[in-house]
Amino acid sequence: MVVLEARGIRKHFGGVVALSDGNLCCRQGRITGLLGANGSGKSTMSKIIAGVYKPDGGEIWYKGRLVHYRNPSEAKRDGIALVFQNLSLVPDLTVWQNVVLGMEKSRGIFLDNQEAKQIARDILSKLLPGLDITRKVYELSPGEMQIVEVAKAIAEKPQLLILDEPTAALEHAQVKSLFAYMRALAQSGVAIVFTSHRLWEVMEICDDVTIFRNGATVAYIDFDREEKDPETIIGHITGEVVRPLLAERTFGEGSESREILLRARIRSRVKSLRDVSLELARGEILGIGGLAGQGQNELLYALAGSFPGVQCEVEMGGKKIILRRPQDAIQNGILLVPGDRQKEGLFLEHSVYSNMVFPKFGLPRHPVVIPEKKYRRECEDVVRLLSIKVSGLDAPVSTLSGGNQQKVVVGKWLSFNVKVFLLADPAKGVDIGAKKDLYEYIRRLARERGIGVILYASDHEELAQYADRVLIMYEGSIVAELTGEGISEEAITAASVQVR
Amino acid sequence: MDAARKGIVALPFEVLKRALLQPETSSLLMFSVLFGITAILQENFFEAKSIVRTINSFAPLILLAMGQAIVIISGGIDLSSGAALSLFTCVLTTVMKKDDPVTGVYALILAFLVALGTGVVNGLGIGYLRIPPVIVTFATSYAWLGIALFLRPTPGGESVPWFRVFYNMRAVEGVPEVLKSLGNYVPPALLLIAGACVLWYVVSRTRTGRYIYAVGSNIESAYVSGINTGKTQMLACVLNAILIFLAALFFVGQNQTGDARMGGPLTLRSIAAVVVGGIALSGGRGSVYLAIVGALILGFVGRIIFFANVPNAYQTLVSGIIVIAAIAGPAYATLRRELR
Repeated sequence: MVVLEARGIRKHFGGVVALSDGNLCCRQGRITGLLGANGSGKSTMSKIIAGVYKPDGGEIWYKGRLVHYRNPSEAKRDGIALVFQNLSLVPDLTVWQNVVLGMEKSRGIFLDNQEAKQIARDILSKLLPGLDITRKVYELSPGEMQIVEVAKAIAEKPQLLILDEPTAALEHAQVKSLFAYMRALAQSGVAIVFTSHRLWEVMEICDDVTIFRNGATVAYIDFDREEKDPETIIGHITGEVVRPLLAERTFGEGSESREILLRARIRSRVKSLRDVSLELARGEILGIGGLAGQGQNELLYALAGSFPGVQCEVEMGGKKIILRRPQDAIQNGILLVPGDRQKEGLFLEHSVYSNMVFPKFGLPRHPVVIPEKKYRRECEDVVRLLSIKVSGLDAPVSTLSGGNQQKVVVGKWLSFNVKVFLLADPAKGVDIGAKKDLYEYIRRLARERGIGVILYASDHEELAQYADRVLIMYEGSIVAELTGEGISEEAITAASVQVR
Repeated sequence: MDAARKGIVALPFEVLKRALLQPETSSLLMFSVLFGITAILQENFFEAKSIVRTINSFAPLILLAMGQAIVIISGGIDLSSGAALSLFTCVLTTVMKKDDPVTGVYALILAFLVALGTGVVNGLGIGYLRIPPVIVTFATSYAWLGIALFLRPTPGGESVPWFRVFYNMRAVEGVPEVLKSLGNYVPPALLLIAGACVLWYVVSRTRTGRYIYAVGSNIESAYVSGINTGKTQMLACVLNAILIFLAALFFVGQNQTGDARMGGPLTLRSIAAVVVGGIALSGGRGSVYLAIVGALILGFVGRIIFFANVPNAYQTLVSGIIVIAAIAGPAYATLRRELR
């Protein structure tokens, strides 16, 4: 039975068209995969169905009825629940309060907290056993938050459940238990929409997939009738004939010409990071691997001078520098591209232009009057160079798609005299095509300009493909080093888990 | 074995460390210290009469600070609360006629409606029109002041005699002896504060209470969770207005007059009390009852300065330094949390 059918959905934000012809069909008891590059419109589609955005055109039929939801609560009342990619949890409330948020039941005039706790406990005991439901949400890790988010949607007993990239912040075991739960939900008759960038997840869990490209639906594949063929799917996503996925690996220069660019020694007083020291050569891409949350981000922040409680001393070109503030790092050409672009890398409401020129103000010798014309020209160059899709330099960054936002974060450093680039999971939430562009570009930067790159990627495939050397971290220390031929996805994963 | 033993040893330490990092811990510590100092400096501090006087002098600020706390937790701020207090006293004393006891009832009803009105207007601006709260309430503070000055250009007006029950039950004829003797120990001001606490206790256990925290903590998340954020912020403003109304009852009971300018200085003091109490200005965090602690701290600072014979010229400076010290504690705890 068809639960929901959306036809010809259109939506634009400012001058950017997010959806030009979105179509989607969900059936009872089936899991539908929503695939597409970042900015292809799949997030927008999910939000329109759940009533977060109003479509500019097209129609949505839900259970045989034409519906126009004005806000999320109307959709929710009809049994449509959306699990948000950008979390919808309230940080200062507890886990169980969040699970029932917006659908609290009362007993008499007071809220029925006992029942609410019971609901939260029932769902979370299956999704994430051992999670204390009385903890405040701001104390949780990103993965735990994501699971609470899923629990919150499930608590509403929806007939249509939309999961927008729920697995991005999860670890493998968590993904597995989420999938088991999704299967059980589908068997009880719930229609599920699932989006993810990880192809294998979609192949594993979905019954059919709908593929978006540039705001339009380009393909629908039913796995009952058609074969699960990743090549075809990737072809639809990128719109190109599939090239062999594994790019040719190029290693850094031979060890005889290795010129040490940076020596860092970190003395830490915090639990998440131990005393660590490392070396980086010119033109080298140094990968940081390991399980999620083993101090990789903290290491990068320390190197960028923005992690209080950690003393970081670096030696560059014979000069000893102690990094106390981000400014110390920036002035010495050490630049950080943060992982959470929405929270740390961008002023979302500001224009592309002002986001790009902001870092320049930290330069040691900056003219008193801002040279607007020169800066605008430089920005235009960067936008062209990275092919950032934007209506103009003055468009707010929040109107850009995720992938394009990430390009702005990287792009704003390009006109600098960069010596060391610190990348914290730069491709997280960026689609396959843009990811490749980004990494190729970074590699070119490293090779041609002799920049040293320290790259932390949660995806080991990215490390295996682009890093010249990989350090594995565990509980805040570096526990293994892989070089040359020793680097492969399997080896990195193996080294990450073997340390116990 | 080793890990287990370490766990046991580490536990009390961790608990202590956690407790010390809560903003309310430092507020309560500060309160105890100031309370102690005041008790030492003021000889008759623990006498019944003196306690009643202390409560009476702190009551308006406590009520205003509680209202302010509700608005701040919901993600707003109210710069009009002092002006609203003045306005309500002016409405009360304009409607009341000294010789006609029944006008007191009319005044109560009308002033309550005016109070609801001020809350609704602030709530519309903040919650529905989504104008920044600072701007909305700054604008309305002038509106309230304007109306108050129109009603009562100079302090004055009339009050029915029985209105004194809100200040001192013994001063009113016809009040049963039982209540009068109760009034010796439990002054009306304390009853008003208790009423405010009961009101918040009930609200905090309903949807509205939960939603006030949710909206203040993260309004986007609250909205997509299906919470009517506009209505929630409106209700926070209305609750605030009701608490200000209670303060107005006390003020008119005490002074028997209305004054368009009396409330002004209390606005910023109420905000300071909220901050000193350890409630986050960013919203969503802290307990409304902490505002009482904050108001008491500010009150005791004034007392200490008075009883410690600080020279006149330095009084403001010294009280400023103590307030800064009081704010530093909660601020540090909040900072630590954000850097975590």
